[in-house]
Amino acid sequence: MKKFFILPAVAISLLAISGCTNKSVVRYGDAAAVETTDINFGSTDLQKVAAEMTDSLLISPVVGTLTVNTRPVIFVESIKNKTSEHIDTESITDSISTKLLRSGKFRFVDMGRVASVREQLQYQQSGGMVDTSKAKQFGQQIGAQYMLYGNLASIVKSNQDQSDVYYKFTLRLMDLESGLVEWADETEIRKTKGKEYISW
Amino acid sequence: MQKLTQGYHSQPSIFILLFISLFIVGCKNVPPVTSGVGTSQITAGEEYSKYLQVHNPKLAKQLYISDIKSRLQQDLLEVNLTLTSTYKKTLQLQYQVNWFDNDGFAVEPGKSPWKSLDLHGMQTQTVKALAPTAKATTFSLYVREVPEKAFKF
Repeated sequence: MKKFFILPAVAISLLAISGCTNKSVVRYGDAAAVETTDINFGSTDLQKVAAEMTDSLLISPVVGTLTVNTRPVIFVESIKNKTSEHIDTESITDSISTKLLRSGKFRFVDMGRVASVREQLQYQQSGGMVDTSKAKQFGQQIGAQYMLYGNLASIVKSNQDQSDVYYKFTLRLMDLESGLVEWADETEIRKTKGKEYISW
Repeated sequence: MQKLTQGYHSQPSIFILLFISLFIVGCKNVPPVTSGVGTSQITAGEEYSKYLQVHNPKLAKQLYISDIKSRLQQDLLEVNLTLTSTYKKTLQLQYQVNWFDNDGFAVEPGKSPWKSLDLHGMQTQTVKALAPTAKATTFSLYVREVPEKAFKF
């Protein structure tokens, strides 16, 4: 009678332990969800960094005085990636500049598109296709007053049981004329990856 | 002895039955628990307590929203949320603030990410959020546990 119960019990526990093989399934997920697939810099980190930096910049009293009756023009310099990973830092600056622009307090010039602008203006001016009275003129652009720049650094440590990564993102706003750093802030992220001994 | 042997011999059929039933019932991803505690839309400066909503009573026993403050900062609505744990162990939480304009329309919907928050045993912690544009005049917030799959066979 004992064996009658033992064998099925063993079978069930074996199945439970080994688990079933999963079929691959494609689903749409929540883009705003916290993502913890691995320890590397991920979408949640990008969203956190962008949100915190934008919030800090927008509520800073100094920036409040800068934006009283005007919308200062900013140029975004690249974020230097000092981590050991390959991170698309342009994506971080894109998120930050989009949020700042949408807040209605700042305006931006895009240095990444200067060549295209020049090409288009040259076409308008000398292509012979555009009405000269309606062609946009060279030398009418507005110069940036401020430069946004920063660094992303990391400290990575690991042993055989767990790994730990610490990111520090620093962002600064410099007045291009006076060279003064008007605003600066940093945000930190810590992520750890360890083994879970009992997990289903 | 005779009975025992009979039972032993009839086991392959039981095995097959178990195997089939496991295949039918098991191998299924149980959707994670994603409910939590939160509020409906609160207008800036209003008393928050009447807007509180509890969707996850288990979490509500371990955590309560002890204060919500809001003010205008450089034309933007700023929200200060205080969470208090009544549980001795660390709670791994996520929170999200959503923004709405004067007419109750969502401001930049889907763009406010879930942020993770570790609340240590019996700790009170304050988090802040800033509206993305000056249009936002009301807000709602939601706190949930880190959604984990209960069973995944």
